[in-house]
Amino acid sequence: MEETPQHCLSRLPDNSALKQQELPAHRLYFTARRVLFVFFTTGIFCLCMGIILILSARSTQEIEINYTRICANCAKLRENASNFDKECTCSIPFYLSGKMMGNVYMYYKLYGFYQNLYRYVRSRSNRQLVGKDVKAVEDCAPFKMSDNKTPIVPCGAIANSMFNDTIILSHNINSSVQIKVPMLKSGLTWWTDKYVKFQNPSSKNLADEFRGTTKPPNWPKPIYDLDKKDPRNNGFLNDDFIVWMRAAAFPTFKKLYGRLNRTHHFIEGLPAGNYSFNITYNFPVTRFQGEKSVVLSTLTWCGGNSLFLGLAYTVTGAITWLVSFAMMAIHITLKNKQMSFFHQ
Amino acid sequence: MSTERDSETTFDEDSQPNDEVVPYSDDETEDELDDQGSTVEPEQNRVNREAEENQEPFRKECTWQVKANDRKYHEQPHFMNTKFFCIKKSKYANNAIKTYKYNVLTFIPMNLFEQFKRAANLYFLVLLILQAIPQISTLAWYTTLVPLLLVLGVTAIKDLVDDVARHKMDKEINNRTCEVIKDGRFKVAKWKDIQVGDVIRLKKNDFVPADILLLSSSEPNSLCYVETAELDGETNLKFKMSLEITDQYLQREDTLATFDGFVECEEPNNRLDKFTGTLFWRNTSFPLDADKILLRGCVIRNTDFCHGLVIFAGADTKIMKNSGKTRFKRTKIDYLMNYMVYTIFVVLSLLSAGLAIGHAYWEAQVGNYSWYLYDGKDDTPSYRGFLNFWGYIIVLNTMVPISLYVSVEVIRLGQSHFINWDLQMYYAEKDTPAKARTTTLNEQLGQIHYIFSDKTGTLTQNIMTFKKCCINGQIYGDHRDASQHNHNKIEQVDFSWNTYADRKLAFYDHYLIEQIQSGKEPEVRQFFFLLAVCHTVMVDRTDGQLNYQAASPDEGALVNAARNFGFAFLARTQNTITISELGTERTYNVLAILDFNSDRKRMSIIVRTPEGNIRLYCKGADTVIYERLHRMNPTKQETQDALDIFANETLRTLCLCYKEIEEKEFAQWNKKFMAASVASTNRDEALDKVYEEIEKDLILLGATAIEDKLQDGVPETISKLAKADIKIWVLTGDKKETAENIGFACELLTEDTTICYGEDINSLLHARMENQRNRGGVYAKFAPPVQEPFFPPGGNRALIITGSWLNEILLEKKTKRSKILKLKFPRTEEERRMRTQSKRRLEAKKEQRQKNFVDLACECSAVICCRVTPKQKAMVVDLVKRYKKAITLAIGDGANDVNMIKTAHIGVGISGQEGMQAVMSSDYSFAQFRYLQRLLLVHGRWSYIRMCKFLRYFFYKNFAFTLVHFWYSFFNGYSAQDVSDKLSLRFPGLYIVGQRDLLFNYKRFFVSLLHGVLTSMILFFIPLGAYLQTVGQDGEAPSDYQSFAVTIASALVITVNFQIGLDTSYWTFVNAFSIFGSIALYFGIMFDFHSAGIHVLFPSIFQFTGTASNALRQPYIWLTIILTVAVCLLPVVAIRFLSMTIWPSESDKIQKHRKRLKAEEQWQRRQQVFRRGVSSRRSAYAFSHQRGYADLISSGRSIRKKRSPLDAIVADGTAEYRRTGDS
Repeated sequence: MEETPQHCLSRLPDNSALKQQELPAHRLYFTARRVLFVFFTTGIFCLCMGIILILSARSTQEIEINYTRICANCAKLRENASNFDKECTCSIPFYLSGKMMGNVYMYYKLYGFYQNLYRYVRSRSNRQLVGKDVKAVEDCAPFKMSDNKTPIVPCGAIANSMFNDTIILSHNINSSVQIKVPMLKSGLTWWTDKYVKFQNPSSKNLADEFRGTTKPPNWPKPIYDLDKKDPRNNGFLNDDFIVWMRAAAFPTFKKLYGRLNRTHHFIEGLPAGNYSFNITYNFPVTRFQGEKSVVLSTLTWCGGNSLFLGLAYTVTGAITWLVSFAMMAIHITLKNKQMSFFHQ
Repeated sequence: MSTERDSETTFDEDSQPNDEVVPYSDDETEDELDDQGSTVEPEQNRVNREAEENQEPFRKECTWQVKANDRKYHEQPHFMNTKFFCIKKSKYANNAIKTYKYNVLTFIPMNLFEQFKRAANLYFLVLLILQAIPQISTLAWYTTLVPLLLVLGVTAIKDLVDDVARHKMDKEINNRTCEVIKDGRFKVAKWKDIQVGDVIRLKKNDFVPADILLLSSSEPNSLCYVETAELDGETNLKFKMSLEITDQYLQREDTLATFDGFVECEEPNNRLDKFTGTLFWRNTSFPLDADKILLRGCVIRNTDFCHGLVIFAGADTKIMKNSGKTRFKRTKIDYLMNYMVYTIFVVLSLLSAGLAIGHAYWEAQVGNYSWYLYDGKDDTPSYRGFLNFWGYIIVLNTMVPISLYVSVEVIRLGQSHFINWDLQMYYAEKDTPAKARTTTLNEQLGQIHYIFSDKTGTLTQNIMTFKKCCINGQIYGDHRDASQHNHNKIEQVDFSWNTYADRKLAFYDHYLIEQIQSGKEPEVRQFFFLLAVCHTVMVDRTDGQLNYQAASPDEGALVNAARNFGFAFLARTQNTITISELGTERTYNVLAILDFNSDRKRMSIIVRTPEGNIRLYCKGADTVIYERLHRMNPTKQETQDALDIFANETLRTLCLCYKEIEEKEFAQWNKKFMAASVASTNRDEALDKVYEEIEKDLILLGATAIEDKLQDGVPETISKLAKADIKIWVLTGDKKETAENIGFACELLTEDTTICYGEDINSLLHARMENQRNRGGVYAKFAPPVQEPFFPPGGNRALIITGSWLNEILLEKKTKRSKILKLKFPRTEEERRMRTQSKRRLEAKKEQRQKNFVDLACECSAVICCRVTPKQKAMVVDLVKRYKKAITLAIGDGANDVNMIKTAHIGVGISGQEGMQAVMSSDYSFAQFRYLQRLLLVHGRWSYIRMCKFLRYFFYKNFAFTLVHFWYSFFNGYSAQDVSDKLSLRFPGLYIVGQRDLLFNYKRFFVSLLHGVLTSMILFFIPLGAYLQTVGQDGEAPSDYQSFAVTIASALVITVNFQIGLDTSYWTFVNAFSIFGSIALYFGIMFDFHSAGIHVLFPSIFQFTGTASNALRQPYIWLTIILTVAVCLLPVVAIRFLSMTIWPSESDKIQKHRKRLKAEEQWQRRQQVFRRGVSSRRSAYAFSHQRGYADLISSGRSIRKKRSPLDAIVADGTAEYRRTGDS
């Protein structure tokens, strides 16, 4: 309707596609063909994925032993904080019916431990852990300073409550011969944690560096005594410490405790037979109705033996297929109706 | 039908409101109530207005005192009003106007105050304070402060820019100059420095800076012509005349400088057409009326200069009093948004309370016994719960969308730019693009129900053109050549043979020219001669060019047409008129001018030809002319048919006739005429009677047809808007007939429309009121409302109502509260109670009346209000706004529309014309009425849909995002937890780019909330299930909360972005870019934030080091994300597909059947045109709004005898003409 002005006038708006809202556009049509195609393919994909996931999860082996009740006397002892210096050990024998092939991982698992509580998860000092300033404890309330005003290293509620049971796995070849299953205490953490997030202060002598600080109230020994044998696993760089410091998302969680060192007898994994866990019981859980387990597991490409994802995929795939059949039926009946309507 | 009505309304003036006059503005009732002593029963509502008007000057107290050339006088203490504690201010406003809101000092506090009126802003301020409390603080302080500052800053900058523009505008107006007497001399002064009592001088084409009393002018008798288009939209000239005494003595600078007159007059008010006052000078008093006052906003025309005394300045001027308040406009969606925010507050508090209770319980059960959670404080679980409540309020703050307002503003800004950029709303002729002057109302454009339009300058161009004529029964004016053959394409008639032609007339009938030149039919020449002689137009010659000044544009068009056809009116004196008849100049003696008035609807002139014959020429409305025709008129029927045809084409028609008068007869009549003209009482009536005697037995010459040119595309626009179910009301200061005619011309009214007038409405309303009173008295509003229509269903109805009727119907007349007045000073408690009671009853009655009226009017397809004041225009808009709860739009071009534009939800100004007042107070402006359809149907709809889509999506996203926290609370002991605060900051901003082409509906707010809730559940519980048991492929447990957060956040971002993609109706590269860009940007930023380098620099801020790279390395996590996204989106696709298949929406259908619909539309339009064939309707005589200049002419006052004798000018001109003719 509007004739385009011949000469350029001062206030003439630009005639660009963007300004005139005339950009080339593609309309997204939900045609039956496209929608059904998408649904059927998604369904197939989900079903396949689900089956693959279930099969792989089934291919792993896992043993979980809950030792809260088995070591009840130890638990009882730990309920009273004044017994902190009394050692309590507990041995749990078990039988491995089939051998566990490949890499075997050992986890400790806690139930009802709220590592994700807000005021707990915040109580840590990343500045301290990165090794720059060991006295940076501002974020660590309520475990910033000891009573005589020396900064706590490592400070904060997370560090203070570090899991400190020792678990040793031994293979009982026969009633008299026990071999300690070799476990690696390295490679338990993310590379970034070990090499970026957690760093010891530069000097060689850790004890010097941490002078003027004190250990967390619940700890039996200071941070630089965590692993005296291996300096690369000591101080903030201790793998157990790093693993603990990565707070879990749920009140039930497991954390990696060790990997099978596949040498000699265990080159193929854990052979079948009698085993026992020798546990030094330090970590109290019964007061808050928590429980502790120790877990041995093998892995596949998709992790452990959790069936959830596989099942979820299978169910989703099945529902998608059902829905797509239903949609197809509705589409066809309506289309026929419409056709007959037009023919009248 | 309409003609019958006309006579009725005019003859029964005593008992009915007068349709011809513009009524007072309603606030007069308030003013005068106090003065009125008499008690009038409500039944006596219809008092003779005339009587009231006459009484008025005596009743009125004159308390406004102005002394000329004496500024000190007005600063006396008793003129001071206490404004503020002890600061006193003169009651005389100065002439500076102020429309801005802030100055340098007040900007920050006032703007902040304005902004914190918004609920969400205030909420965030409270939140900020909460976060400062360490026990509560769950998020870092900057997470709230930064967005809040951003929001406040952006809004403040926008307000600042707006206010600076207002400052500029004010400055521009205040710094206009005119000449003011200072220290005895005229000196140039700025408008803002003008004060009451100043004597000023104005030149031709100057705007009048204040309301001034005309003292003298360069014209004879100190006449001064003004154009009042800014005030009432009428473009014809009006004349003002000063008092004789000031005319006589105040012509020179020195006399003006010593002028010490004293004026007493009424207080400032908003009545444009009324003024009462007295001038005291030289020990004599002179009465003053509105004819001696020039109002601010008028333009001086045809007068070289004039002098005036400032009576009202600045805010006291009548135009300012009329302009109404500037209202802060907000859209429906704004209100809805606020409402939603409140809802969310409530939901938020409930959620937080629930979670806090949960937390307290958990603390009591578990937390208190968990040694690892010991924090050194012995707080009770309930206290912890209480602290937790506030913590949740802070953490869940993303549910209250602070970015919402900013995002909405940004979107609106973008839409405003699209309006500004629209080429199809650019008017090349005047080089004016459309302009969105406010950026906050765009989506409201898609919700308009009622449009209130001005007529003159908005629907019409206010250009009258001579279109057709009927001479001696033969119609001229179609496209045809000299030999009567019709052609579709034919060149315009060439008027070059006529030296007086102005060449602006476009005429296509060559046969008429042929007829004039050949002179075969004497009636043809007689016809144009009549047009040239029978009028009250003034002529003015500049550079040999003839300039006509007509009292009405119609008359101007006719005289101009005659001039083009060879009968040029050249000059007139008191009793002669000179015409050039096809080149030969002849001067006729004018014996009498029988002027137009609204009752007579005709004017005549009696001339004596040079040959000595006496003739009467008459033109007038067909109805009045036909009554006075001689019985022997051969072309009566043909002319009647022609009139019908013209009326069908909505042309404005006039009948022309003449008669020969015998010398003796004239002499006899002249005697009566002379006697009547000097009659001291009822002179007008006596004159009318005398006129009647001579205007009979007329011989019909023919009829003229004038086109009141519509703006381009008006009928099409109106029909389109009507299809969109938008109702159009025309509000005009014009006369009823003119308005009705235009109603037909722009197809607002059609042949099958039943038109209802004021009296019909009145009786209907009376009946309804009676009904309601019987049912429940005046408290009927407490009874269940009865919604019965006023009219039987079906049929097309229109309402035409005048301002006086409007006042009558809406009980706005001054008698409305007379009952109260009786009890003005209540003596007893009883009386006081009765007084308030009756007051309340009257209020209720009035309200009922108004409501009924609006209901009734809304049943009509079109409403035309004519003869309404600016204030009434606003009132009508307000009524609809109030009682219909509908969104209104007002469109106009003049200062008289300002009030209405400000009142309506959306005001549109027609730009590109001279006056800018309407544009300045409007929200949108463009050059042509027809752009309205694009503004509403395209931009409005888009803006609305986009805004709704955006809001829906926004709430969906916010809920999906925030509620993940909520679900998480069940697994972390109900303690506040931060999934990823950075995301919440970052993403609302990101999405804006992508939200350009989505499709939602705001009513589905709760649906979108539900959708958000479901999505958040899926987003949380699938990863939860997947995480509970799992370990990473390298053996480490990935179920740490950071990996979990990354998984959910990634799934969320992908889901919501894909959701936009699904909702996008048209994918452009901008959409694709923004959606995939958003996802890419998310991952980019995430990897950045989780990188090693940044952690080393700021270990305590960026704690997520390595999470992204470690977590997203796991195929398991990707599988979780994929499943989550699929489960979120597949149902959406399925539901959309099914609803499209089973219940296809309107736009789906339209998409499907695009071609067929197009064909249908074309067919409909053609049919409509076809229908306009048979008609009984007659376009009435729409003549000038006021009397012509006959008085001026016959008294000789306008003739420039003072400076140069008229004959000399004429002689000069003709001599020149002859010279050019010879050579």
